[in-house]
Amino acid sequence: MSMIRSAVREISLNLHSKPGARLVTLLMVALAFIVFNTFLIISWNLQGLMDREESLIGMEVFLQRNISEAEGRVIGDNIGSMPDVKSVYFVSSQEAEALFRAELPGRTDLLDVMGSDFRLPTSLQVVFEREAMTQGRISDISRQISSIAGVDEAVYGEDYLPGLLKTVTTIRRLVILLGIVLVSSISMVVFYTVRLSVVRRSLTVDIMRIVGAPSWFIRIPFVLEGILMGVTGSAGGLALAALLSKVLSSAVTHRFMPFSWMTLVILLGAVTGTVGALAGSYEKER
Amino acid sequence: MLLAGMSKLLVTMSDVRLSYGRTPALDKIEMEIRQGEFLVISGPSGAGKTTLLRLIWMGDKPDSGLVDVSGFRSDRIHKRELPQLRRKIGIVFQDFRLLYSRTVFDNVALPLQVTGTANRVVQKRVIALLARMGLSHRRNSFPHELSGGEQQRVAIARAMVAHPVILLADEPTGNLDPEVSREVVDLLLEINRGGTTVVMATHDPRQVPAGKGRFLFLDGGVLRGADRWTELDEKP
Ligand SMILES: Nc1ncnc2c1ncn2[C@@H]1O[C@H](COP(=O)(O)OP(=O)(O)O)[C@@H](O)[C@H]1O
Ligand SMILES: [Mg+2]
Repeated sequence: MSMIRSAVREISLNLHSKPGARLVTLLMVALAFIVFNTFLIISWNLQGLMDREESLIGMEVFLQRNISEAEGRVIGDNIGSMPDVKSVYFVSSQEAEALFRAELPGRTDLLDVMGSDFRLPTSLQVVFEREAMTQGRISDISRQISSIAGVDEAVYGEDYLPGLLKTVTTIRRLVILLGIVLVSSISMVVFYTVRLSVVRRSLTVDIMRIVGAPSWFIRIPFVLEGILMGVTGSAGGLALAALLSKVLSSAVTHRFMPFSWMTLVILLGAVTGTVGALAGSYEKER
Repeated sequence: MLLAGMSKLLVTMSDVRLSYGRTPALDKIEMEIRQGEFLVISGPSGAGKTTLLRLIWMGDKPDSGLVDVSGFRSDRIHKRELPQLRRKIGIVFQDFRLLYSRTVFDNVALPLQVTGTANRVVQKRVIALLARMGLSHRRNSFPHELSGGEQQRVAIARAMVAHPVILLADEPTGNLDPEVSREVVDLLLEINRGGTTVVMATHDPRQVPAGKGRFLFLDGGVLRGADRWTELDEKP
């Protein structure tokens, strides 16, 4: 118990000494996190846009008129088992007509003009895995599906989607890259701050050593200092990003990141702080 | 001295060599320290006295040769075992090395607190020790409020509170005036009479009365025999 009390006192003594360097570090960590958070928010909003448009990220496969419903379903199953295909939905002629009437109520006269013998073609609504959504891959799959016997034509709706997908993919890669840069640079910053702290308190560290304090006891104030810098830095960055988001909300319609992402950001701060502090307080010998 | 032959070996150095950079700080050191003795290591500044003491508390390891302190061997000790060794050793420095943000009590209690001694025990032991050292009234003072002699006594109390088997004192009187120096040496002698082995490094062996200890003379990193007066005659 006295050991813990003593350690706690060491921690508070450590935190009270010379807050200058720590403040600078905190600011750097927070600023780094603002940049990171901005990209997270962009990524999150593009993601939301994607989710809303997801129904369009698919392909309409029209079947030839001589294909029966049973045959159509077999073709659907075949397409369904292709790689990168998420789901296939069979739309019968009657369903197509019902959909037409529902979506274009003003143009039902077209159907009436065609007469009672006319039937809309049966089709398959194909939805792809999001990861597969690159321009090249879609063209590939499209060609593949078109060549299946019984398929009349494969059409995919919105032209801009592959572009959007590309942007989302790029942003996501950027976020990951930025995350890696963030983790390593913040670890370094914390590492040097903790090193500095160890040097500044070298008398205390020496005394702790010669009285036989275990290594964890000597290091824990410094490690906690690093964790604290990581957590408060990332939390501060989050708070500033939230403020920025609020200020800009009228100019740019967007959502802030979800709670789980915020937790992750704080966790990232804690982890980088810990890594930097553990390395910064490591002693080879003595 | 009479007992020296029978008492246990505490420290052994064999063919110890250590250099900082190119110039050797210690060379071919052969020596033994027995339990209960008062050993004075003298020699001019830069002779290697501090380095020799550092080897005992294993703040450094020899480049070659072997240091054995109570079974802890310099060639085998793992850094995780260093705290165990240090708890058997009390160390006093010329510059006291007290924690200036802690009170006298907390400074003295430190070696007990870092090893998880129960608070009750810490209280009792520290208070008793401070009383014995004549520091009771200074218990809640901070080191900078004390005289040099008092600070050194606090440092000695801290070194002794965990009952070490050996007390290392590196120029303990270096920052003190002659009268206070004498008091500190007397305190070390008293501690030695209590059974603790004491090793004192000093550039001025006259601080310890002849006959009160064993004297080794260190010069240029080499040990030069035992007799203090003949050595002093050769090296004015
Ligand atoms: N950390 C160090 N780095 C480089 N040289 C050192 C270091 N410590 C001691 N020395 C050198 O080693 C020699 C012995 O030093 P030291 O043991 O401090 O002598 P003493 O305590 O007898 O004055 C000296 O020449 C000194 O300059
Ligand atoms: Mg010295």
